[in-house]
Amino acid sequence: MMAGRDGLSGSDRFAYLQGLVTEFQDADSEEAKEQILANLANFAYDPRNMEDLRTLQVTELFLDMLTEENQNLVEFGIGGLCNLSMDQESRNQIVQTDGVPLVMGCLSSPRDETVLSAITTLMNLTTATSHSQTTNGSVVLCMLRFSLSENPRLRNLASVFLQDYCTEEQVEKAREHMQGHIQSAVGIPLPDNKPFLDSSQP
Amino acid sequence: MASSEECSVWKTPKVYKHHEQQSVCYTRPKYREGRRLRAVKVYTINLESRFLLVQGVPAIGVMTELIQLFALYGVIEEYRVLDEYPAEQFTEVYLIKFQKLTSARAAKRNTDEKSFYGGLLHVCYAPEYETVEDTRQKLQDRRRYVNRVCQNKVKQIDLTNEKSITPSCSNTLRAPIPQNEEEEYGYEHNGQNSNTSCYSGVPLLPLPPQEGHPPSKGALRDRIFPAEDKMGSLHQFTDTREQPTVCLKQDSFSHGNRPASGKTFNPTPSVRFMPRPAHLESRKRKMEDKEDTSLDVTDNIAPIIGPKLPEPPKIDMEDESLNITANLIRNKITKIATVPELKPAEKNTTTPKPRRRI
Repeated sequence: MMAGRDGLSGSDRFAYLQGLVTEFQDADSEEAKEQILANLANFAYDPRNMEDLRTLQVTELFLDMLTEENQNLVEFGIGGLCNLSMDQESRNQIVQTDGVPLVMGCLSSPRDETVLSAITTLMNLTTATSHSQTTNGSVVLCMLRFSLSENPRLRNLASVFLQDYCTEEQVEKAREHMQGHIQSAVGIPLPDNKPFLDSSQP
Repeated sequence: MASSEECSVWKTPKVYKHHEQQSVCYTRPKYREGRRLRAVKVYTINLESRFLLVQGVPAIGVMTELIQLFALYGVIEEYRVLDEYPAEQFTEVYLIKFQKLTSARAAKRNTDEKSFYGGLLHVCYAPEYETVEDTRQKLQDRRRYVNRVCQNKVKQIDLTNEKSITPSCSNTLRAPIPQNEEEEYGYEHNGQNSNTSCYSGVPLLPLPPQEGHPPSKGALRDRIFPAEDKMGSLHQFTDTREQPTVCLKQDSFSHGNRPASGKTFNPTPSVRFMPRPAHLESRKRKMEDKEDTSLDVTDNIAPIIGPKLPEPPKIDMEDESLNITANLIRNKITKIATVPELKPAEKNTTTPKPRRRI
């Protein structure tokens, strides 16, 4: 049992991950669920596992977690997506399964870690085709607000997003909106124990 | 709303949630439990950083020792005491900025929860000290790394598919590639949560002198090159190959003991520390050795009288292509040297010169 992971060959690893997924689906207690989910999300950090995790449809499992009420599950789920979306194929899988709105929903989480993972995930998901979706008006506006945050991590990450993933026009437009007090709900922390509701477009 | 004035990286000492040590999880079933108990936590690139926050350093003036300890894991760019950071009584908090994320990762892994001059260190990442540029770079590096590994894997699979189309072969091929990568990137994270069982087998501690390059490559170079370059006689190379490793050990040792004079610890190859006369001497001897071997390979046991000096038999240029070039030149020289022309004798006449005083 204590065999090192590095000793695991490909098929053993796959079997182990598969076991985890099954166990997650059968788990009754929230605590066990959290543990297994965190486990899977950490496995997603290692590029060696990404293919197996895709095969096991862990991408969708993570996405499902984003609408959970338990904030721990949301945090671990988006953490897993943040790790997984670094890889191009996983990225495509997330975009194709309409993951972008779900990830955007995490921007409104009351937890910093969840919001940070969501921003990084959105960056990873941004491609020529998904650009209009990942950097829509409300997201840019939200990033603009984050870039003024007191939390330096949030501020930095939002700045990178604005500088590298948005056009100047987009940012300028969002600035005008902000001055004109036309707000969007994205990125404003929701009160606890309420699932995410889709924000209205500005 | 105040963002521009307080941008200085070395300000704003605040306690963030991720600085606190989370309580470890006791309810994990045995098979999912690692060697060490860990908190339930997901690691992402956002949590990692080149900045480390070191808490619990006894306030007894051991800064030098602390920085020496951390410098074992890589080049430190900056460090300072965080006077304003709330610390426990009689302890100090330090902020250390590494040149590379991999170094910070290795340092954290090896020093967290270790005792240090009677105190227990708590080491965590401090990404809030990053600048926007640091953050950008960190994300780009990570993306690049993941893509490289994934592409390698795809290539490897393609290759083996061409060779044989057995479905079960995937496990044999997957293992070897990433292992290299792993050393290069210095994995930590998978194990971080609960499956620690998993990775602790990897000897992660990198050799400090090799900071510039991935450690594995450095080690490989030392191994492979001496064997490759002098193709003539394998006889000698068995011991040339051992020598570099010895040197490395000494070097890393002295590296750790050197007083922290500056802020950065520049890794220097051991060869440079050799006094000049000894250096010339060794070079001369090498030339002679070469001549001997090229003339008569079997005879080379005879001329060695007395114990051999532990000097590196060959200068490592610290770069593959430089090594190749150096070897070419060396070989040329030995070829020329076979024509009886007494170069060592010439040198003997030149070296005593500085001794002429008066």
